[in-house]
Amino acid sequence: MVTDLTKTYRTPFRRRKVEALRGVSFRVARGEIFGFLGPNGAGKTTTIRTLMSLIKPTGGTAQILGHVLPSRAARMRVGFLPEQPYFYDYLTVPELLDLAGRLFGIDRATRKKRADFLIDRVGLGRARNQNLKKFSKGMMQRAGLAQALMNDPDLVVLDEPMSGLDPIGRKEVRDLITELRDQGKTVFFSSHILTDVESVADRVAIVARGQIQTEGTPSELVATTTISVDITMRVAGLADDKVAALVARGPGKSRRVADELHVVLPADADVDAWLAAAHADGAKVVSVSPRHESLEDLFLRHIGSADSSAAAMEGRV
Amino acid sequence: MSNSASKSSAGISPSAALGGGPLGSIGRVWAIALNTFREAARIRVLYGVVILVLMSNVLALVLGEMSIYEEQRVSRDVGLAGISIFGSLTAIFLGVFLLYGEVQRRTVHAIVSKPIQRWEFVVGKYVGMALVLTVLVGLFGAAMAAMVTYQGGGVTSALLKAVVLSWCEVLTVAASAIFFSSFSSPFLSGIFALAMFVIGRLTPDIAAATETAKSSWIRLVTKVTLEIVPDLHLYSVSGRNVDGDPVSVHGDFVSWGYVATSAGHGFLWIVGLMALAALLFSRRDFA
Repeated sequence: MVTDLTKTYRTPFRRRKVEALRGVSFRVARGEIFGFLGPNGAGKTTTIRTLMSLIKPTGGTAQILGHVLPSRAARMRVGFLPEQPYFYDYLTVPELLDLAGRLFGIDRATRKKRADFLIDRVGLGRARNQNLKKFSKGMMQRAGLAQALMNDPDLVVLDEPMSGLDPIGRKEVRDLITELRDQGKTVFFSSHILTDVESVADRVAIVARGQIQTEGTPSELVATTTISVDITMRVAGLADDKVAALVARGPGKSRRVADELHVVLPADADVDAWLAAAHADGAKVVSVSPRHESLEDLFLRHIGSADSSAAAMEGRV
Repeated sequence: MSNSASKSSAGISPSAALGGGPLGSIGRVWAIALNTFREAARIRVLYGVVILVLMSNVLALVLGEMSIYEEQRVSRDVGLAGISIFGSLTAIFLGVFLLYGEVQRRTVHAIVSKPIQRWEFVVGKYVGMALVLTVLVGLFGAAMAAMVTYQGGGVTSALLKAVVLSWCEVLTVAASAIFFSSFSSPFLSGIFALAMFVIGRLTPDIAAATETAKSSWIRLVTKVTLEIVPDLHLYSVSGRNVDGDPVSVHGDFVSWGYVATSAGHGFLWIVGLMALAALLFSRRDFA
């Protein structure tokens, strides 16, 4: 649970204030996959680094698995994959996992067994004797995932886990995330890629300009709002001036393809009146479908409003 | 990723092995130390330093031949100077880069997010560095002993004490370098640590300046300097007076009691510097 987390930096020379987090609050339930969605620079990584005790917050509190942060007991039960992970490039994967295991106080036999399992699980069996220096970005990401799971964590925190991966790699990470959830673990991951979040997250928070813009399940977030009504009608046999009148009557956009006219009316338009008038003109209505906001629409709307409110605030200052 | 692996972590439950574990802080410090040793062992500059020191020992042989009945004296002096100077410079080099590099390359992110305390990380880095420096001092000492033995001399207890004192000096310098790198860049840390090494070596001269200086400001500055800089002169006493008696590695040298006291002095400095470094490091944000 994160409550009103703030982080303010000072720029090195001019000592200008930069508010990276401006009162971030959200709650992640046990056993769920929580997607932390936002554009670059929104505050995702700062939030995660604060939760991982890499950064001290300026204000606010956070709890992980019942422990108030900063807490070593909490870190004992958390696995963390940093954004664009950097590891000691002179190590091999078994050595990296052995180091991680030692830091968790895992005994030698368990370390070895666990490392072997994870190396196989993330598909690095063939590269186990290679130094990390020779690893591609995707392989490094897999090594990072393996070290994050070394302590069999209850909570897995992944900062942009699919970044830099090819489509197959992304699917594998998504599968791993859902598998972790199926094992009863909680997964918190950040991404700026909408489809990655949409496809696996049980709940989503959209963050922009250091603030949570909205939070909920994908269906909660997108199903409630109708943004337009799409109407398709046949206009075969209608004179062009009649079709033009039909188009001119509506406040929405329209497009004619052969004998079909597609009209998009705004959500607040009087659809019944418009349909009755079209019918009277001789058009045959084929379909009427309300269009709900997609996660992408929602995302873009919130990013846009966050940007404009921030610009307004900056203007006032 | 392979799907062939069995479910639920292959039946392993590391959680059972957690909770501090049998190793606790020592285990975590040791894990970082071993990793640091491994990292330092890959730095090619160190091999260059080893070759340089070995060559200086061979040069001592040549210089010894040019002297009249002073071959062993030259080998001992050159060997000990090599340990002290090259050892301390290596300590500064490692100290300013190893800790800073962790932050710069962001390798620290994956480490301090684990249940390790920041002080354990700093101490682990120091212990790893100390291991590397101990191996280097051992190598330099062995090379010097080989040259002295080749010239018909033996490894006397005086020589052994002198090497132990140099080792203490190198470890103290390493601690100062780590301390400076906990809050500044390698360049600045290097300058600060080098200044500390030079001033630490000149403590008797600074003490003399304190007594003879006419300006009260100079007296204050020199007095403060003597308080905040480790007295490295304690570790390089050959050819000077200790408690009124002249000591020399070629003749009568200091007692083991003196070595133990000086080592204790160094140990206290190391503990103090590490505590400060850990404090500063624990306040840092890793953005």
